[in-house]
Amino acid sequence: MKPFIYAGVTAAVMSASAVHAGTVSVFGPWLGPDQENVEAVLDGFAKATGHDYSYVGSDSFEQQVRIDAAAGSAANVSVFPQPGLAADLASAGQLTPLASGTADWVRENYAAGQSWVDLGTFSGPSGADELYGFFYKVDLKSLVWYNPENFDDAGYEVPNSMEELKALSDQIVADGGTPWCIGLGSGGATGWPATDWVEDLMLRTQSPAVYDQWVSNDIKFNDPRVVAAIEEFGAFARNDDYVAGGANAVATTDFRDSPKGMFSSPAQCYMHRQASFIPAFFPEGTVVGEDADFFYFPAYASKNLGNPVLGAGTVWGITNDSPEAHALMTYLQSTEANEIWMARKGFLTPHKGVDTSKFSDPTLRKMNDILLNATTFRFDASDLMPGGVGAGSFWTGMVDYSGGKPAKDVADGIQASWDSLK
Amino acid sequence: MYPAMQGIMAIVGAVSVCLTYYFVSNWLLDNVFLPAKGAHISRNINRANMIRPWLFLAPALLVLCVYLAYPVIETLRLSFMQRQGAEFVWVGLDNYQQMMTEDKFWEALTNNVLWLIIVPAGATAMGLIAAQLTDRIYWGNLAKSLIFMPMAISFVGASIIWKLVYDTRPIDQEQIGLLNALYLFFGGDAPQTWVTMPFWNNLFLMVVLIWIQTGFAMVILSAALRSIPEETIEAAILDGANPWVVFFKIKVPQIKGTILVVWTTITITVLKVFDIVYAMTNGQWNTQILANYMFNKLFSANDWGVGSASAMVIMLLVTPILIWNVYNARQEQL
Amino acid sequence: MDNIAGSKSSLRWAVHLSVAFLVVLWLIPTVGLLVSSFRTTDQISTGGWWRALMTAEHNLILRTAPPSTQTQINGKYVVTGSLAKSGTDLDIRVWGVSSRAIDDYTPGATAKLSKGGEITVSKDGHYRMEHTLPFTGKRGTRIFLSSALPPEFTLDNYHKVLFDPKNVEGMGQAFLTTMIVTIPATIIPILIAAFAAYALAWMQFPGRALLVAFIVGLLVVPLQLALIPLLKLHLNIGIGKGFIGVWLAHTAFGMPLAIYLLRNYMVGLPKDIIENARIDGATDFQIFMKLIVPLSFPALAAFSIFQFLWTWNDLLVAKVFLIDSSGQTVVMTAKLVEMLGTRGGNWEILATSAFVSIVVPLLVFFSLQKYLVRGLLAGSVK
Repeated sequence: MKPFIYAGVTAAVMSASAVHAGTVSVFGPWLGPDQENVEAVLDGFAKATGHDYSYVGSDSFEQQVRIDAAAGSAANVSVFPQPGLAADLASAGQLTPLASGTADWVRENYAAGQSWVDLGTFSGPSGADELYGFFYKVDLKSLVWYNPENFDDAGYEVPNSMEELKALSDQIVADGGTPWCIGLGSGGATGWPATDWVEDLMLRTQSPAVYDQWVSNDIKFNDPRVVAAIEEFGAFARNDDYVAGGANAVATTDFRDSPKGMFSSPAQCYMHRQASFIPAFFPEGTVVGEDADFFYFPAYASKNLGNPVLGAGTVWGITNDSPEAHALMTYLQSTEANEIWMARKGFLTPHKGVDTSKFSDPTLRKMNDILLNATTFRFDASDLMPGGVGAGSFWTGMVDYSGGKPAKDVADGIQASWDSLK
Repeated sequence: MYPAMQGIMAIVGAVSVCLTYYFVSNWLLDNVFLPAKGAHISRNINRANMIRPWLFLAPALLVLCVYLAYPVIETLRLSFMQRQGAEFVWVGLDNYQQMMTEDKFWEALTNNVLWLIIVPAGATAMGLIAAQLTDRIYWGNLAKSLIFMPMAISFVGASIIWKLVYDTRPIDQEQIGLLNALYLFFGGDAPQTWVTMPFWNNLFLMVVLIWIQTGFAMVILSAALRSIPEETIEAAILDGANPWVVFFKIKVPQIKGTILVVWTTITITVLKVFDIVYAMTNGQWNTQILANYMFNKLFSANDWGVGSASAMVIMLLVTPILIWNVYNARQEQL
Repeated sequence: MDNIAGSKSSLRWAVHLSVAFLVVLWLIPTVGLLVSSFRTTDQISTGGWWRALMTAEHNLILRTAPPSTQTQINGKYVVTGSLAKSGTDLDIRVWGVSSRAIDDYTPGATAKLSKGGEITVSKDGHYRMEHTLPFTGKRGTRIFLSSALPPEFTLDNYHKVLFDPKNVEGMGQAFLTTMIVTIPATIIPILIAAFAAYALAWMQFPGRALLVAFIVGLLVVPLQLALIPLLKLHLNIGIGKGFIGVWLAHTAFGMPLAIYLLRNYMVGLPKDIIENARIDGATDFQIFMKLIVPLSFPALAAFSIFQFLWTWNDLLVAKVFLIDSSGQTVVMTAKLVEMLGTRGGNWEILATSAFVSIVVPLLVFFSLQKYLVRGLLAGSVK
């Protein structure tokens, strides 16, 4: 009896922890509506290849993926919100390089293909550069969302410059309203929405060259120009009159909950600066283009910096090598994989071959125009910084800042943590 | 319910593996290696009796050494090393030096010291009051078990329970957090975000742990109070002492030893607590504590060196209790 | 004790009241969560749980029928209908036609529309919208209204959290995982610790006193220290992350307390019985199985309750040693922490999930409290 039971246990334990042949496990940061979206794409993968899949999302993705990778128990494929984090893992030998030829494919088929190749190329444990990351699902960050009917009711116009945007904010306050909904909460990643603000404002107050030097730390984080950009953010987020719930609520409000204030009655706020994915978190039944719309987060008319645009994307990397993992990477290159999510919400792609009529709503095409009109395109800085900064001290620093800590002190702390990583 | 079946099989299997070890090893000792018969019967019995304690102890000692003693040494070693690529290299005291320069570390250390003072004091004091009061009424046992109840609730569950209490809504909406509702009812001007309020937010987090631990203190102190000889108390009352005097001058001094035990036990719990801060603030707004600081170092910053160094600081903080406990245990045995 | 201190009845009342106050204070946070788990989303957003039995008021944004449904009556363009969705009732107190003024009108009043025309809304949500020119646009006009919301309790939250297969955040699987982690992690350490405690209490061998001191010392070692080295160890010996790893870890972390409690209890057992059994020729193994285990039942029960609560409620050990990317091994505490982020605003789901995780330990606690108290006392009070 006993050997039999023991064999049963082993079988039970094995099947509970290991993965069947022909299955690919995917681990990513998406939960809730986005989880349903990515699972729709993975369903497509399962149908196309006959492989099975399991997807797990976590709010503490950044922490969990490190534990798992160090433990050798990582998923086959991990979806990194930040290239910086993927680069850390690559240098520790925890990522598998993508199949040869992938880089050529990206160069061919992605708009600005070379830049996507560069962003996904990291140095491995031996120091050699290889393509580890494949970009699938791109986000446009420089967007301000608003409720057009509420704008109509109040007679507000969409602003065309940062000066007008600030004037509009003041006008809303004068009319007894609250202009902004800002929420930084995101579980273990709390603080990241603020880093987007700072990056967008950095691009609107400094030249792209300065931005690039900031990303590479050739310009220190506590440089007066960076501190000034942080304080620009503070002009919005630390102004009790400007934000719904007051400045104190900014860091405690979850970023997924914060846009809901635009659609409540009475309206808690009029505008919400967030990336292109956010409609997935609007209240159920909200129609983008009718109930909600967006405009380009404008640049200063007084500064001659053109129309900069901030973007980001998720990097898919192989954290546990298997043939199925490579099959999934190949599937993601298909137009079908892109079009499944295009037909849903909050998805943009640099893939040149997709049928743009498959977008679920015309606003996505409008976003494309913003991309085309951009004089400068820059990738999310925090995603490019080393994980300990871009997915660590920059986030926590921004939470401290929104809580009232002086910008200079915050920047000093972030620079110190960067120094310690060298 | 296929997964449930798997679970049950796993449970039965794991337990039977354990039981099998004890049966089989004893049987082997008595019947195969050193049988209590034949030519060397008395020698065999003596030897078997020498070995048997170790058979009984072996699994426990193995587990203790591998899972508790070895990690202490290994963590100490790691705290002097730093990862470079996939390798660990010796860096001496660098990790400690770096940790000392970080504001977050000092914040975590100060907060931890606050936790170490306030939570044991608060829980012990509340427990003492609850014990003294509930011992004197007929529904005391019911009251005790209700106050004791939070002990069964997970730190995460408790965090959710208290998050609802501390919830904040904008001023023009109905408050659903009890604390803000009370604050506004008693004349507060605007709803407060309790978990971001500098300094005080630490206290709001500590309240959660005090809420959980008071029951424990109460149960033990109440037993100690009951074990005080009636004569001493009666004598004091005959001398005209009032209840307060009886409580503070007669009862409390007599249960000093138990109070100390309760205090140190809660202190150990405080040092280990991680979930409450992790779930409620993740160490933001100056509520960082060492356990969470260490978790962030390990898994957010991926800095195992400094992570280990901060673990050693926690170890350093418990060392006085460790020594005191061991000293007491030795005293008892002598 | 009554005759000792509180002979005055006013003092007695003060004691009763203080205890009642303490109990209420200790219960209220939990009760709040319990009540919230039976309320609907609308109910929760309109008022605190302490108002669950009162009629509340909620603000809604509803739309009239689209202009495509307009008819021409007496030269005017008219749209009529009801704002109430089928199957629901409205009890409108005030309403408005602009997000800037959501409470300008009372039921029956007529409002001017900003795009021209006017509208009348009655108390039950029926409206009539008319204009001399045709209404244009694709969508109906927004009507803002405040309507009464009678008290309502529901079991839907529990259904959604436990049994809805479409709910990716359901607790069903996690509940099972927690069980699979907890039960062996409770039984194994008792087995191992009982044997060890017996050896330390009743067997003679060199180094016994040192071992006891060693275990007492380990009682306070923070388990945080163990995370990194053990994770590395588990990887090197091929356990990786999974149930075996988490059982071993829980067994080890509960071990010092288990041995300490059980040994303290066993030492206090009557010496004669054990000596007599020895003289009768019983082996240590027989003594242990036939005498010690039955006699130590209270201590064994106490420790198992402790260990059960500790493993059921654990987050850190599961996070580091168990939860991997397969998604089949998420325990309830970890799931709850995720929900605090993603469902931070949905208190009905959060409260229900939390209660699902709390209810088993509470049942264990209330049914076996007697043993728990006894065990605590055996360990702490000399």
